[in-house]
Amino acid sequence: MKEAFELVNQMQREAVIDRYAVGGAVGATLYLEPAATLDIDIFVKLSGDAGSLLISLSPIYDYLKQHGGRAEGEHMVIGGWPMQFLPVSTGLEEEGLHEAIETDIEGVPVWVMRAEHLAAIALQTGRSKDHARILQFLEQDAVDRARLERILKAHGLGLKWEKFKARFLNE
Amino acid sequence: MSKESRKKLASLSFTEKVKLLEKLRQRSLVLAEARKKLKEKTAAENWGRRSETQDRNLDR
Repeated sequence: MKEAFELVNQMQREAVIDRYAVGGAVGATLYLEPAATLDIDIFVKLSGDAGSLLISLSPIYDYLKQHGGRAEGEHMVIGGWPMQFLPVSTGLEEEGLHEAIETDIEGVPVWVMRAEHLAAIALQTGRSKDHARILQFLEQDAVDRARLERILKAHGLGLKWEKFKARFLNE
Repeated sequence: MSKESRKKLASLSFTEKVKLLEKLRQRSLVLAEARKKLKEKTAAENWGRRSETQDRNLDR
């Protein structure tokens, strides 16, 4: 995975992408115990995509192919890890990207979304595995609940959160 | 997994957690490969059995 992030960082330095932040199960791993996952979700903002309606990932795919990446369906495989690049498409994802925190894998810098944004995006996505992840965040006190609720409210997810609490937390 | 072990795992550094993720992924891939081979083997055996039955029926 280290090799994959070395290349992603290089892609950022060469201005193919503006910013990136790891989401999904790998992102959640920063805050929780590791859980088996087959791919890495990376939220990206492409360089110069501000205001454009149609966002193409081809600059990323072309760059990675030139640097040893291999396309496999919707993923690019780098260093043995399938990576899925997701252009930020909502205000919540955009905020998550901007407030991402820096960590590292063996000294290689990696930007990861904050736990509260990961939980909020999981609620927005709403699959069973996303609900399970939110419960993990809550059970392990890995999120600041007040901060999470502020984010949910700000991004119109208040009602969804109330339903989630009623269904899973008996609140 | 106990709450204590989960807490211990959660407190590891990202580097250490990523190493575990890599091991978990490797194990998933090995299991998926083994399942695929088993499926192929079972399908081949079933096909062999079907052919034998068909041969016997033709002999009758």
